[in-house]
Amino acid sequence: MTQALHLVAVAAFLGAILIVDLRLLGWGSVRQSHVGIARSAQRVLLWTGPAVLATGIPQFTTNALRYYASPVFAIKMGLLAVALVLTVTLRRRVAAADGDGLPSWVPRAVGAVSIALWMSVAIGGRLVGFVE
Amino acid sequence: MPSILPALEWLEALAWTTAIRESSWGYPIMETAHVASIVAFAGLVMVMDLRLVGLAFAHTPLTRIQRPLFRWQMAGFGLSAATGLLLFVVDPLRYYGNVFFRVKLVLLALAGLNALGFHLTIFRTVERWDEDPLAPTTARLAGAASLLFWSAIIVSGRLIAYNWFD
Repeated sequence: MTQALHLVAVAAFLGAILIVDLRLLGWGSVRQSHVGIARSAQRVLLWTGPAVLATGIPQFTTNALRYYASPVFAIKMGLLAVALVLTVTLRRRVAAADGDGLPSWVPRAVGAVSIALWMSVAIGGRLVGFVE
Repeated sequence: MPSILPALEWLEALAWTTAIRESSWGYPIMETAHVASIVAFAGLVMVMDLRLVGLAFAHTPLTRIQRPLFRWQMAGFGLSAATGLLLFVVDPLRYYGNVFFRVKLVLLALAGLNALGFHLTIFRTVERWDEDPLAPTTARLAGAASLLFWSAIIVSGRLIAYNWFD
């Protein structure tokens, strides 16, 4: 059940990530400002993030040796660390700048890297259960 | 009522479903693609639902959220439906009797009806309340129902792995 709730929390968290990334990529409505949505999405991340952790950490602590030995889990956590750092630094600034003074490839690149990283974390999470 | 069991047994006995079912890579690949597409899809639906119920994006008009997301929601749903169907087709008897699988199908139908009802009724008048931070009650209820259904669909999908009642 912890895993089932973890997936629900992950879905909500990922939705708030993707809505901003799709805009950074210019695949939303391009003329519409990113800023209002990015700021509101950040608030969604701030309350779904703890839910992801609260449902994720018990999975680790109840099976710590198995996860510790799993290379996929190590990769997932590494990708998660990179994704988190990107999200709270570069991505936040680029989303707040709303394209002002930036070459158009910058928001696109940040959006593409962010989607790739967060989806890899999600995929990695499922694969932990498959790869011994 | 005629049972669909013979049809499922026929499906299960096909050479290609047997090959995928008995392979070591088939299930992990299909299942991972299914989970990844469903969390992405459900997430894109949930952020729209959060706007509907008034918990987020209050100062962005609903259609500025809904319109650009729609095709991504549909793409995500298409991918999760395709991978889900494939998972079922290659191992139908595993799922057929599973109570969580049946619950999930019922919830999917309810989520679909809720979305259809929303689009055919209150969403038709969206120009009138698009910019209101708080949507009309019917729209908020549809958003709340959607959040509930998709969360329950994810939970029941995960629980299919456990055959508590078999």
